[in-house]
Amino acid sequence: MSKPPSPGFSPEIVVLYCRQTLDAEAKPPEGTRQGDGFSARLVLLPCSSKIEAYQMLAILDKGADGVQLVACPEKACRFLVGNNRAERRVAHARGLLSQAGMAEARLELNRAAELTPEDLMNLAGRHAGRIKDLGPNPMKGGTN
Amino acid sequence: MIVAEWKPLPELLAGLKGYKNLLLVGCATCVAECAAGGEREVNTLAPTLHMALKNQGQDINIITRTLERACEPEFVEELAEIAPQVDAIMSLSCGIGMQLIAERFLDKPLLPGVNTTSLAIREAPGLWTARCRACGDCVLGETFGLCPVARCAKSLMNGPCGGTRKNGRCEVDENTDCIWYLIVERAKARGELESLNQVRQPKTWSNSAHGGPKRIVREDLRS
Ligand code: SF4
Ligand code: SF4
Repeated sequence: MSKPPSPGFSPEIVVLYCRQTLDAEAKPPEGTRQGDGFSARLVLLPCSSKIEAYQMLAILDKGADGVQLVACPEKACRFLVGNNRAERRVAHARGLLSQAGMAEARLELNRAAELTPEDLMNLAGRHAGRIKDLGPNPMKGGTN
Repeated sequence: MIVAEWKPLPELLAGLKGYKNLLLVGCATCVAECAAGGEREVNTLAPTLHMALKNQGQDINIITRTLERACEPEFVEELAEIAPQVDAIMSLSCGIGMQLIAERFLDKPLLPGVNTTSLAIREAPGLWTARCRACGDCVLGETFGLCPVARCAKSLMNGPCGGTRKNGRCEVDENTDCIWYLIVERAKARGELESLNQVRQPKTWSNSAHGGPKRIVREDLRS
């Protein structure tokens, strides 16, 4: 749930992005990168539908401050319906987060195309900006 | 398949009060097919419960397992090693599997994670609809292969009730076909509408839930 901003809080964002959202020339970035006031762990997916609701929930349960799934624009999925599936899974996971007393805004889906690695970091930065208002994930330092 | 669905989260959370180590068990057969208790659902419920309880100030360690078939003792036995490490077991298998687990681990509280609701088919992705209620006296031969017990809201044996909507849907639920409407349509298509004029006598329910707990004995198979 929403908390007062924590001074010095640098959100850890996990960015799960579909390979097809990148510019064809771009080398897919992977691993953790430092942004301005946040860090982003970039995870390459062959399609946004390759991620399941439980995996997004598990990432938040393990303490990431935010999860961002980056999918292709509507009707631009190479697997035809992959990005729609991803959208429904995000909605399902957000519903469960909310029932678990977690801010569902910690998980979001963005649609984008022809991204450079910098654009991806900018998207993560915007998500991090919203997460800053929520404060750190209350799951940090948990058992599971 | 046997169909189940998650109990509401507040009910699950209330049942977990005070526990520190939970074994969350799924079943890879029917409840996996109906997306209630397979490995995927176990892996979805575990972080959901963990986060919800932690937000309520309760730290719980959740161990997950998914059995091939929770209604077979051989598979339930796979929990023997892990069970002593937990204070309770929550099962996402149907009521049958749950009882086998409870019977095998008598010293552990068994918490049902799902409500077992019906015998159903997956009609479309994300949609399961009832087909049978295990009534013990199958009448499909008289009703053109459509079950009035499970699929008529009133389980009428001599339908329809008079409430069928103009579009052939049931008066009780606009999203559900009136099964008697479909039975009549099938009878017509076969040219056997007359057969429905024959009044079906009161049904024998004693071969199912109304006859006491069911026992089937096959001497040739007993050891
Ligand atoms: S008539 Fe009875 S046994 Fe036959 S399908 Fe319906 S409920 Fe099942
Ligand atoms: S409308 Fe049809 S299915 Fe619904 S209760 Fe009446 S007979 Fe049964």
